[in-house]
Amino acid sequence: MIRNAALFFAVLTLLLFATGCWSRRELNDLAIVTGVAIDKIDNKYRVSVQVVDPGEAAGKKGSSGRSPVTLYDASGDTVFEVIRRMTTVTPRKLYFSHLRMFVLSEDLAREGIGKILDFFSRDHELRTDFYIVVSKGRAAKDIISILTPLEKNPSTKMFTSLEVSEKAWAPTVAIQLDELINDIVSEGKEPVLTGILIKGNPAIGKGKGNLETIDTPTNLQYGGIAVFKKDRMIGWLNEEESKGVSNLTNRLDSTVMEVACGNNGKLAVEVIRSNTKVKGKVKDGQPEIKVTIRTEANIGDVECQIDLMKSKTLYDLEIELEQKMKSDAERALSKAKKLKSDIFGFGEAIHRADPNYWQTVKKDWDKHFPSLPVRIKVDFKIRQLGTTGDSFQNKLKE
Amino acid sequence: MITDYIRASLLLDTRFNEADPSNTDTLDVAQVLQKFVTTIGDAQDIHTFDDLYNGLLSGDAIILFDGSTKAKAVSAQGWQNRGVTEPSAESVVRGPREAFTETLRTNTSLIRRKIKDPNLWMETKQIGRVTKTEVAFMYIKGIVNDKVVEEVRERLDRIDIDGILESGYIEEMIQDDVFTPFPTVYNSERPDVIAAELLEGKVAILVDGTPFVLVVPALFVSFLHAAEDYYHRADISSLIRILRYLGIFIALFGPSLYVAITTFHQEMLPTQLLVSLASQREGVPFPAFFEAIMMEVAFEILREAGLRMPRTIGPAVSIVGTLVIGQAAVEAGIISAAMVIVVSTTAISSFVFPSYSLANSIRILRFPFIILADTFGLFGVIVGTIATLLHLCSLRSFGVPYMSPFAPMILPDQKDAILRLPQWAMFSRPRLISQINVTRKQNVPPRKPEPRQ
Repeated sequence: MIRNAALFFAVLTLLLFATGCWSRRELNDLAIVTGVAIDKIDNKYRVSVQVVDPGEAAGKKGSSGRSPVTLYDASGDTVFEVIRRMTTVTPRKLYFSHLRMFVLSEDLAREGIGKILDFFSRDHELRTDFYIVVSKGRAAKDIISILTPLEKNPSTKMFTSLEVSEKAWAPTVAIQLDELINDIVSEGKEPVLTGILIKGNPAIGKGKGNLETIDTPTNLQYGGIAVFKKDRMIGWLNEEESKGVSNLTNRLDSTVMEVACGNNGKLAVEVIRSNTKVKGKVKDGQPEIKVTIRTEANIGDVECQIDLMKSKTLYDLEIELEQKMKSDAERALSKAKKLKSDIFGFGEAIHRADPNYWQTVKKDWDKHFPSLPVRIKVDFKIRQLGTTGDSFQNKLKE
Repeated sequence: MITDYIRASLLLDTRFNEADPSNTDTLDVAQVLQKFVTTIGDAQDIHTFDDLYNGLLSGDAIILFDGSTKAKAVSAQGWQNRGVTEPSAESVVRGPREAFTETLRTNTSLIRRKIKDPNLWMETKQIGRVTKTEVAFMYIKGIVNDKVVEEVRERLDRIDIDGILESGYIEEMIQDDVFTPFPTVYNSERPDVIAAELLEGKVAILVDGTPFVLVVPALFVSFLHAAEDYYHRADISSLIRILRYLGIFIALFGPSLYVAITTFHQEMLPTQLLVSLASQREGVPFPAFFEAIMMEVAFEILREAGLRMPRTIGPAVSIVGTLVIGQAAVEAGIISAAMVIVVSTTAISSFVFPSYSLANSIRILRFPFIILADTFGLFGVIVGTIATLLHLCSLRSFGVPYMSPFAPMILPDQKDAILRLPQWAMFSRPRLISQINVTRKQNVPPRKPEPRQ
């Protein structure tokens, strides 16, 4: 009896090892993909992947001259097929969990991105915490083939740069896959993506030469916001309009705002916190949106003669900044209205306010949206003056 | 001794004392001798040759009388003693510097010196058919659970063995569960620890010939408590205890978590860390599992070698070990640097346990966990953890649940489990050890006098 039991357990233990660890992969069997770029060329998808060379990207023994990342690309009819086809060129199987940046070419974005996103949301290996951007005017592949200084891995550079600029500068939006898909399917909100462009000569940017000078010849820069309608891109917003988008969608964390002051000088304030509330209302069958923006800021830079010690000055400044913020927001709004794309999610606000009314307009919301009255109210407060009170420039009596 | 106390008194004192027949009502030589002559208290009558041999071989002097069926066994033992020295396995910064020795009587006296209470009872047995080793067990009557004492008595009586050379023999013969990696009998070489355990209502088993004294019932938490916890202030002691629990976690799971995450769950690591780990693994020919096992085995060999070497050669072992395994293997690209970090962190963590026996259980369990991690990833580690916990909760030591006061959860006993409350707050004895006389002390926090007017 005991012998049988012992035998049984011995066999069970052996079974444990017979499974063969099917899903295990050693770290050095992985080709860690950090960036993906998709273009559409001749009706076929061209997928380019940026793979990290760990020895070069994190090695301590000095660089051996190899590039820290490598690019592979292939073309085909579906994204999945292309990615598998790439194994014919990649030395290892591609590993997508650590994808940081997903770059779409502008052409592709204008044609529609819905189809290609499916693979990335379906595959179990992908985390959805990568950022999606649109390459402005260039092939997406070019974007991920630029070498960047400081960050050895260009995708990490793009990732952190987008994250930081959204927090501290505002006219960029860091959008991740789940949010993008939500916005695409949502009826009362249209997606936006940040644009990325190459500053300088792309041919130089691809080589080591890009890293060897102090003034990097070619750099990657974020600029503008791409406006979508469903999954199709329909236009770009410029910097002021992009700022307006941040203001209206409660994305604003911190930014710099400047106003004219004194005799042809300028004054800049640092926004330290901002909160946007969007309220929808339907009155007599007429939808209406009320946006309240509450913003607090510190004086950051005084380049004019102004007496900050008077509360009246600060009060005037606040009013001026309110105006400025309002005009930014209105500019973004009018642009969006022109493009007939509700990127602010006002439709959702109306839906929340009056579901019954929403049922009647949701079919052709893009027709209603351009005529939607939006009341913007800005409440701007200046809190602190920085480490000095009045500017020393006031003492420079000329 | 024989000369001083037996022969001297026989030859000299008999002349002058009252040992003539008129003073006694008996003519029994042995009794006369006992009453008037010998100056040694511990004397026994013996009637059989078995007792005679036993006494003779235990170091007694045997006095045989012409024409009498009785003999006297007079305790006249004298042997070489190792003095009371500093404890070598459980050293402290603050606390008594004495450890038990190999002599049973010295050991009992060390305990008696700590607990001067007539209720400290001791029972003595001889165990071992050939060695006839003296085994004593001590407890404080009125605190101890009588059922546990009865159980100890029974289990000791059940032992039928030819020799007892160390308390480990007894431990293996009396433990509750045989097939477990965890120790269910506590041992210590410090009289202060044993005294503290006796005060909690436990039973100490002393074996002649070894400085290690056993304590039953043993709880899992007591293996993580060091004597010094009670000598330092409560706050730092609690902190160090938490650190020790962290240590047990690292020592048990360190390599297995590393293997599981790097071979199955790479998505859990931050990108930078993954790239850095991957760069270290570039060119390493072995799978992470094999690497881990290799390093662990190498470490265990080093440790064992360092232990058994003559003390003068010991440093040579560690130099070769650190140079060869720590550096050369990494530089040659056979082992990744991260694995060396993981294994050495694990090794250091396994030294934080105050009890060597628990450190050994963790040492054993580490290997199955690595295998589980390699076959099933984190899932395997979790299943292994659950199995281990279930096993721990099923253990009992002399009827007391091993995992108490956590399973079953006993709130009053949390005073001295993961945390250690100040002395004035630890007013009750562990609930499950003994239900009688649970109040330890009734103190209020020390108060300072009112400020002077």
